[in-house]
Amino acid sequence: MPFQLSDEQQLTQSSVREFAEAEVLPIAVEVDRNHRFPEETVPKLGEMGLLGMLIPEEYGGSGMDPLSYNIAIEELSRCCATTGVLVEAHSSLCSWPIVHYGTEEQKRKYLPDLASGAKLGAFGLTEPNAGSDAGGTQTTAVRDGDEFILNGQKVFITNGGYAGTFVVFARSTDAPGTRGVSAFIVERDTPGFTVAPPEDKLGICGSSTTPLFFDNARIPAANLLGEEGKGFHVAMATLDGGRTGIAAQGVGIAQAAFEEAVKYAKERVQFGAPIAKLQAIQWMIADMATDIEAGRLLVYQAADLEGRGEPHGNASAMAKLYCGQMATRVTNEAIQVHGGVGYTAAYSAERHYRDARIIGIYEGTNEIQRLVISRNYLK
Amino acid sequence: MKIVVAYQWAPDPQEATVGESGTVDFSRAKPAMSDYDATAIEVGRAVASAAGASLVGVTVGGASVAQPVATKAALSRGLDEVVVVSDPAFESAGTLPVATVLAQVVQGLGDVALVIAGDTSIDNGARLLPPVLGALLGWPVLTDVQTLQFDGTAATAARTLPEGVQTLSLTGPAVIAVSADSAKPKAPGMKDVLAAGKKPVTVKSAADVGGAPAPEGVVRSTAKPSGPARKGIKIDTTDPAAAAAELLSALRAAGALS
Repeated sequence: MPFQLSDEQQLTQSSVREFAEAEVLPIAVEVDRNHRFPEETVPKLGEMGLLGMLIPEEYGGSGMDPLSYNIAIEELSRCCATTGVLVEAHSSLCSWPIVHYGTEEQKRKYLPDLASGAKLGAFGLTEPNAGSDAGGTQTTAVRDGDEFILNGQKVFITNGGYAGTFVVFARSTDAPGTRGVSAFIVERDTPGFTVAPPEDKLGICGSSTTPLFFDNARIPAANLLGEEGKGFHVAMATLDGGRTGIAAQGVGIAQAAFEEAVKYAKERVQFGAPIAKLQAIQWMIADMATDIEAGRLLVYQAADLEGRGEPHGNASAMAKLYCGQMATRVTNEAIQVHGGVGYTAAYSAERHYRDARIIGIYEGTNEIQRLVISRNYLK
Repeated sequence: MKIVVAYQWAPDPQEATVGESGTVDFSRAKPAMSDYDATAIEVGRAVASAAGASLVGVTVGGASVAQPVATKAALSRGLDEVVVVSDPAFESAGTLPVATVLAQVVQGLGDVALVIAGDTSIDNGARLLPPVLGALLGWPVLTDVQTLQFDGTAATAARTLPEGVQTLSLTGPAVIAVSADSAKPKAPGMKDVLAAGKKPVTVKSAADVGGAPAPEGVVRSTAKPSGPARKGIKIDTTDPAAAAAELLSALRAAGALS
């Protein structure tokens, strides 16, 4: 399927690239090295409208189409993977379910602050004993009058340390498996709700990845998101879009590694000529370019299907699966093109390699994507 | 009242390639708005908003300048509307025909208080367009303008020159060429991108502006400057003392210092 980006999609690409190169790229190395959340970038992202891309204009967002949004995630991730996932988790995982499952009151209460960046969003699904098996959720939500009382623990929550609004999943009925899970909107200052210090990670080091603890945290019943007991459906529909976003992040990381490999190959002289003149390097560059383009087209296809309101779960799983592996392959080859210096922090190739590794893990591992995809063919 | 920004939509030199003989190849370079013109729009937006004026972009070129993505790119940077003179006859047109058409469009708009342009262009960099345009309009021209204020009647401009900073005030229409550091262009936000498609665009052909330009001289070739080849030595200036020592060493090695 050939893709001709619309004028607006092309302008989104050039505008976000201009913004990211001016505001995101200059601090990317420092953010990674110091494992520092780029807090100062959040208001700039809000001003650019990059935190409200999936939020309709009537709630303060820009109401962009999913393909424009994924192009933006790629461009941000090309400069800084931490910033890419900051926006992705905020948008795909917190704003999107409120837009699509929230009541009018919930939308008016939460979306304007998410669109402006006054509050960051996060998504709490994963638990110590419920990662890929979301139906194994052990966090509980017990109804008490006009409130739910939440108890339990979440782990690996992106933006956890800085988010003001969380979409959280907890078991609220005795129904077994996925049927007893409900979704809730939780505000950061809720008594009994605490955020633990961030994890020390291999890559996306500036991203705030934290555990969440609920100790008799009382949530207004009005903060139930969607129907009670239908939380697993909310989570899976949310992840259908989110997975495309993570795939786009992988494309951006790979693109950055590729561009730096090309630049280095043209500059590095060995045997009296730039190494780009060597067929061994030329073939690596060709394979990397082809790999990235294949991944990008899978992202575009999944986003395009979503934008046209068509089923896109299979396409997003394919994009996520492919890009998770592609990003690791391409960044690995980028280090190889750089040779010894690629293994050092003097160049960004090693950062891209570390950042790429998470693409095949979060928002559903490669193995879960294969499960999702194969079910569509082995019904 | 209108304030006009003259801008150019031309192949991006960042994407041009330079052959080993010095030949510059723009054939694979995508067109884009130059940073100089983005700066001019940024200055124009601030001045127009302060004066309560409408900000009109005007450009002259081949078919690509009228493509919706080109006009939306310009409008997303803060212009209220654009007037585009698009015709194959103006593809690669030189300074005089472009300035002649720009002058005609500006006069046709009426009630134009200022024309703002970048100090130079991304293709030829001749720095001639603002002076020629001013001459054709019969308006004063200020170049190298770093700061510009306009209250709707009088303008105050500061020119940064090698000799110092010159501050001038003027009334009446003028052509202002702003320097690259007169503003820092901001990337268009997502709402700017979406709003761009709803703003007015007027497209004119060569026939609308008096016909195709007269033939001009053509560029026959481009080549590297003659003289000794540059050595391409880069010195890390993190440590100034070490950098100075390295510079002296390199100059001695080249025989420039004994």
